[in-house]
Amino acid sequence: MKKDILQAYKQAPWRVQIQWVGVFLLIVIAVATVAGLYLYISGRSAATGRRIQNLESELATLHRQNNDLETQLGEIQSERALSERINSLNMRSLTIDEALYLEVPGYVPAEGPSFAPPPTIKEERTPILLPEFTNTFIEWIASKLQAGTQSPTPTIEVQP
Amino acid sequence: MSESIKTRFLVICVICTVVAGIVGIQMIRIQNTEAAQRLLDASENYQGVNRVVYPDRGNIYDSKGRLLAGNETSYEIGLDLNSITQPETVASIAASVLGLDYAQILGYAQMTPGNGNPVYHVLDDFVSQDKIIELETIKADYGSRKAKGNEILPNIDGLLWTAHSQRTYPEETLASNILGFYSYLDRTGGIGYFGLEEAYDSQLAGTPQEVFYAFDPQRLSTVEEVPPGVTLILTLDREIQAMTEKKLDEAIEWSGAEGGTILVYDPEDGGVIAMATAPRLDPNKYWEYAELFPNPTPYNAAISKTYEPGSVFKVLTMAAALDSGLVDPDTRFQDTGAFNIGGATIYNWNMGAWGDVDMTECLQYSLNVCMSWLSTEMGPDTFYTYLKSFGLDRKTGIDLGGESNWPLKLPGDSLWYEVDLATNSFGQGISLTPIQMVMAISSVANDGRMMAPHLVKAMVIDGQQYDVDPVVVGNPIKAETAHTLTNMLVNSLENEASNALVEGYSVAGKTGTGEIATPYGYSATETNASFVGWGPAEDPKFLVYVWLEKPSISIWGSEVAAPVFSDLVSKLVVLMDIPPDSVRLAGSNKTTGQ
Repeated sequence: MKKDILQAYKQAPWRVQIQWVGVFLLIVIAVATVAGLYLYISGRSAATGRRIQNLESELATLHRQNNDLETQLGEIQSERALSERINSLNMRSLTIDEALYLEVPGYVPAEGPSFAPPPTIKEERTPILLPEFTNTFIEWIASKLQAGTQSPTPTIEVQP
Repeated sequence: MSESIKTRFLVICVICTVVAGIVGIQMIRIQNTEAAQRLLDASENYQGVNRVVYPDRGNIYDSKGRLLAGNETSYEIGLDLNSITQPETVASIAASVLGLDYAQILGYAQMTPGNGNPVYHVLDDFVSQDKIIELETIKADYGSRKAKGNEILPNIDGLLWTAHSQRTYPEETLASNILGFYSYLDRTGGIGYFGLEEAYDSQLAGTPQEVFYAFDPQRLSTVEEVPPGVTLILTLDREIQAMTEKKLDEAIEWSGAEGGTILVYDPEDGGVIAMATAPRLDPNKYWEYAELFPNPTPYNAAISKTYEPGSVFKVLTMAAALDSGLVDPDTRFQDTGAFNIGGATIYNWNMGAWGDVDMTECLQYSLNVCMSWLSTEMGPDTFYTYLKSFGLDRKTGIDLGGESNWPLKLPGDSLWYEVDLATNSFGQGISLTPIQMVMAISSVANDGRMMAPHLVKAMVIDGQQYDVDPVVVGNPIKAETAHTLTNMLVNSLENEASNALVEGYSVAGKTGTGEIATPYGYSATETNASFVGWGPAEDPKFLVYVWLEKPSISIWGSEVAAPVFSDLVSKLVVLMDIPPDSVRLAGSNKTTGQ
C-alpha cells in the first residue's frame, strides 16, 4: 500500500505541490480569520468607547441641567415667591384661633426628607467594557478555554 | 532546473535576506534612539488629557427638603485665538451680547498666539444662560446662511463658552446667617465663610480628583465619576425661619432696638429650628459683606456675640439651688431689698424690699437679692460647678463657623471678685452667647439632659444618607429638678399675667433685663431685653430665646421681649402642628393632625 502511494507521487509530482499550496492556504486562512476577528473586536471596542465618551459628555450635561432645574424649582418655591403668590391670591396664613385639630387614629406624621437610601455594603464597580474588548486575542482564547472548564457564568450587560 | 538558474535564485534569496535583515535591524535601531523615545513621550500627550475635576458643591436643604443652597450652570467666555477668522465680527458680537468693550475684545482677537501671547484668552466669566442662548442663536443664524458667489459670510469661530457650576442661594437673605457663603467667584480656590459653608467646607466641596480622559476609546476601561460634595439636610425649618426673621425685624422696628436675635430650638434633640439675627446678607452677593457688616458687627450674633444676659440667667441659678438641695419651691426668703457681699450692696431691679417670698415668687418678681442669697448659700464651689456643668465655660460646639465665647470668671482668677458670686446669679458680670444660654436652659426643658446644639440632621455622602444622631453633652440637673423648675416658671408667668403667655398653651419662661457695661459703669438707660420660654410645659417641643439689644421704647424684658415671645409662639404652634392643651391633653394618647 505504502509502496503504491509513493509510486503515485513519483508519477505525478504536482500532488506534492498541491499539498504545499494547501498548507500555505490553510495558514493564510488562519491568519485572515485571526485578523478579521481582531478587526471586528477592535471596531466594536472603538465604537463602544466612542459611545462612552458621548455618554460621559451627556451625563455631565444632564448633571448640570438637573442642578439648574433644582435651583429653578427652589426659586419658584422660595419663601419670597410663595409669599407673593399667597398675597396675589388674597390668601393669608392660618392663625392660632383658626386652626382646627382633628384626632386621626393611626396617623403618623411624615418623616423627614429622604434623598438617598441608608448606608449599605458598597458593591464593587463593574468595568464598563467587557473583557472581550480589552483582552489580547491570546488572553481571550485562554479565558474562553478556562470558562469552558468551569461552570457557565451569567452574561454581563454593558451599563455605561 | 539548470545550475545557473539555481545559482541566480540563490543570489536573489541572499540579497533579499540581507536587505530584509538590514531593514529589520534599522527598524529596531530607529525605535530605540533618543529621538524615538522623545516621540513616544510626546505621543502620550495625544492619548488623553489629565484634568482636575472639581465636584459639584453639596446642596443644603431644610428639614422638609427645601433647597437652601445649590448650584446652577454659568459660563466662561473666551477666545481661541487659533480659530478666529473674523476678529471684527467676534468683537462686535461679544461686545453687544456681553456688554464688554469692543476695542478691548478686538485687541485680544487680533493677537497672534505664541511669542508670549496665550492661545486662549478669557473674556468674561459667570455669564448667565440667557446670554449663551443669545450667542447660540447668532451662531446658528450665521451657520445657516449660504454664500452667493465670492461673498464672505460672517462667523464667530473662536468665540467659545464653557459651562461650569456656580453656587446659588435661592432663598437669598433667608437663613443666610446660618448658611454662611461660598466665595464662588474664585473657581479653584473658593472657600466657605461663616455658618455651615465654613463648618462643613471640606465636606461640601468634596475631593477634587485628577482624572485621565483618554482620547483612545479602547483605553476607557471605566467611567471616572467624581462624587459630588456632601449634601446636608438641616434641622432648620424654612417656614419657621422665615416667620422668625419677620418677627425679629418687626420687633426691632417696634422696640427701636439696635439689633436682636431669636432662637427656636428643639430641647429634646438639640436641633436648631430657626435662628434669626440682623442684619442678613444675600450670599449670592457675598462681596457686599464688608459693607453690611462693618467691624465689629458679627455675622451671626446668636453664636458670635456675647452679652450679659440679665435675669434670664436666674433660671440656671434656681436650677442649681433646687438640684443641690439647698431649697425647694416652698422655701421662704425674707427679702430686705439689699444684700451685702464683698463690700458691695446688691439691690432689686426696683430698689424695693419684697418681704416674705417663696422661691416661685423669687422668680416671678425677679429678685436679685434672693438670687444673690441662693448663690452665696450654695457657695462658689457648688455654684460654679453647676455653671460649668451647664457648659458656660466653653463653646457649645455648634456646627456653625464663627462661634465664640467669653471666658467664665472663676474663683481664683485675677478678675474674679467675691461680688461676682452674687452678680453672676442674676446674669450680670458674666458674658454669654445666646446659643450658650439656650443650650444650658434647654436642660430644664428636657428632663435635665443637655443636648449638643446642631443644625445638620442628615448627610448624603456618595449616594447614601447618614442620619446624625443627637448627642447628650451632659446631665447638669436631675429630671425631678427640671420638672419642678418648669412648674415654678409656668406658675410665675401665670401669676403675673405675663405678656409672654400664649392663649391655650402652657408655657414656662423667664424675662431678662441685663444692664450694659460702659467704660463709666453700668448704663441705666441701655439694656439687653430678653426672654426665654418653652412649651408645651409638660412635654416641651420648642424653646424660644428672644434677645433685643438696647430697645428704646422700654428697657424691660417683660415689656419688650415677652410680647415678642408670645406673638412668635402663637405662630410657631400653628407651623409646628402643636394643638392647644385642651386638645392635646384630652387626647394625649392619640396623634393629631392639623
